Amino acid sequence: MAESEYVTLESSDGFQFVIHREVAMLSGTVKNMLSSPGHFTESTEGVIQFRDIKAIILEKVCKYWYYKARHLNSVTEIPHFEIEPEYALETLMAADFLDT
Amino acid sequence: MSRRNRGNAGTTYVNNVRGPTSALTSFLNERGIRRANPAPAPPPVATPPENDNNNDDEPTSPQHQAASPSSSSSTPAPAFSASRPTRAARLTRGRNLPTRSTNVSQSNEADGVDDDSDSDNSDDDSSDSDNKNLIPIAISASTTRAVRATRSRVIAVASSSSSSSSNAVASSSNASSSTAKAKAAASKKRPRKKDASDDSDDEDFHDITGHISRSNFSHKGRMPQGSNKIVFCSRCRARFTIKAGTTPAVDEDDGGLLCPTCAGTGSPGPSKNALPKAKPVKRARRKAQKAEIECQIPSLQDLCIQKIANSIEDVEAFGDISDLSLDKICKIISRNRSLNADTLQLFLDARHSELILYDCTDITAIGLQNIAQFCPNLRSLKLKLCGRITNEVMDYYIEHLTKLTSLMLIGPILILEHTYIKLFETVCERFEKFELKGSSRFSLKAIKALCDNCPNITHLRLGDCNLMDDGWLEPIAGLTKLKSLRIRNPEPDKLTTPAVVKLIQAVGSGLEELELKGCNGLTDEVLVDAIRPSCVRVERLNLSGCEELTTEGVETLFKDWNVNPGLSYVNLENCVMLKDEALMAVTEHSGATLEEVNLSGMDEITKDALQTLTRCVNLMELDASWVRAMDDDIMEQLVEAAPRLAKVTVWGDHRLTECCSSRKGLKIVGREGDYVDLRFL
Repeated sequence: MAESEYVTLESSDGFQFVIHREVAMLSGTVKNMLSSPGHFTESTEGVIQFRDIKAIILEKVCKYWYYKARHLNSVTEIPHFEIEPEYALETLMAADFLDT
Repeated sequence: MSRRNRGNAGTTYVNNVRGPTSALTSFLNERGIRRANPAPAPPPVATPPENDNNNDDEPTSPQHQAASPSSSSSTPAPAFSASRPTRAARLTRGRNLPTRSTNVSQSNEADGVDDDSDSDNSDDDSSDSDNKNLIPIAISASTTRAVRATRSRVIAVASSSSSSSSNAVASSSNASSSTAKAKAAASKKRPRKKDASDDSDDEDFHDITGHISRSNFSHKGRMPQGSNKIVFCSRCRARFTIKAGTTPAVDEDDGGLLCPTCAGTGSPGPSKNALPKAKPVKRARRKAQKAEIECQIPSLQDLCIQKIANSIEDVEAFGDISDLSLDKICKIISRNRSLNADTLQLFLDARHSELILYDCTDITAIGLQNIAQFCPNLRSLKLKLCGRITNEVMDYYIEHLTKLTSLMLIGPILILEHTYIKLFETVCERFEKFELKGSSRFSLKAIKALCDNCPNITHLRLGDCNLMDDGWLEPIAGLTKLKSLRIRNPEPDKLTTPAVVKLIQAVGSGLEELELKGCNGLTDEVLVDAIRPSCVRVERLNLSGCEELTTEGVETLFKDWNVNPGLSYVNLENCVMLKDEALMAVTEHSGATLEEVNLSGMDEITKDALQTLTRCVNLMELDASWVRAMDDDIMEQLVEAAPRLAKVTVWGDHRLTECCSSRKGLKIVGREGDYVDLRFL
């Protein structure tokens, strides 16, 4: 089965984020979901629903993944990744869950 | 620092002196030439300044001959108070010295001293004090002039007053023309240097007298552009400094840098051309270093935790976050000193079975009592720096924490003996771990109560207990289930070798961890008669600070110690008498199993023994601070041999340069090169 280059992440309030598969794989949880041996809908269709992550948090997490992918092997100075204090706690919960 | 000192001293007294910093500084100090205390009995101006100056064909004005303080730079003095009231007014506070003219300072700023003029200390009432104080500076000028004459490496380029710096170039007879040009160019480049001499004077004063006030300190001001660089000579391995704006000699054979001695020239000739070249190179390397250090991108969890910890006061409840994150937040806010009775509430929850508070200094007794109220299911409680915990709170814990099996208290200064006894009598058999540090009330009676009532203790850690002596060890010897025993920092001479030998012989067979940190009276018998025969299961051994241990003792312990399958952690910090053979015996015995090694302060160790560390293929952490044989070569071998190596501490290892090999994920802490560079950002 040819794997799509992209995966879709769906937030609890219905927003969809279509991001690169390899970027999403930076999360341990997502990686396990997409590459588990059983035939789960997540791994076959490439769509993952997060029932308890809001769009605004999921967007932040996706941004972080791209930030990380972008700077993973860079030798130049890495810019700071900004997190709004009001979302820090929720982002932390999501990050805990996603193993990011 | 020293460079700055030199630069400023040069600005003030000995313009353009480029001799070795230390020599000049010490000379100035020797002669008592410092601005705060002008020479006590000044003779009249004696030395005609022109005699010993080589480039003295600039016009000498009558003023100059008479009393000009700026004759040190062969500069015709501008009229002081009359024509330049602002300059004269710019006297630095606390010193009765006239400042020199603007022109002097600016035309002699050739070596790139770039002071930031952040303070403008002008006492406007002292415009006439110039004349009073001419003599001291005239003297210092003439003395320093003599210095200049004696130094072959000194190049005195003095531009004559404000007229033109090109005149000066033409007139300087012995300076190489290129240098002079560069200087002229430099002086042209920054024509406005109004406050430079004033401000630098002030700091200069601090530097000389050695009182650097912290509030005035700034890295920027301290290290101007093009800072010094510390490198190692490729021939004699000696360390030397490349001054900003100079090019060191290069070895023809291998292209390495040579120190002045090896180069044979006596001094690295200053050449201005090198300055723009040298800077970008250094910058690039520093950036690479920084990237090396910060090669790992922090996880999103850590970023969030940092953010939350910074605004902990606004958090109402944590919600559903992992215990690991919770612990991290607790650590950070403990360090921020924002863990108090209010923020403590965030960490209290009935579902917790473990609680660690890293700094209880700001938590009141009531707050501490709340712990037992909100977390009745605690099995393990660790309170660090808990100086405010009282007997009442402890009684409350004894009553309410019915599942407690493990307790750690650091600094419980208010808790008395009888409370401890009550605790041990209540917890009885379920008690497994007890750790106590920094208590002077814990007594022989208490330890007896512990050992009599709690036979299931597996971890016992006692540190900094003032009353500890040989008598304590007897009851401890009855704890047959001990797996970890730590005795740390007893009072000197309270613990004797025979008592410790007896204790280890009694409980040693079960021990997985043994720490005798700071028991500095212990001798080799502990190793040979106690640890070697008894401690067959021990994996972690900490003998740091046992200064009496000898090489022979350690060798005997580890040589053919077949009953022990190998240690994973060895700490020999500050065992100052140990030599190569000791470390070789350790690596011979436990090479394959060692994961953490601490050799800090073992100054006798040489390269031969350090090389045997390459046997430790599982090594993850190494502390080789103050082991001065540690160098780039050893580091390279270690990096190759131990793929899991993650952290190396190298404070004070001056042979380790910033060029030493490393790899991603390996943290090198305390490398001098890093700190020199980072400090002068």
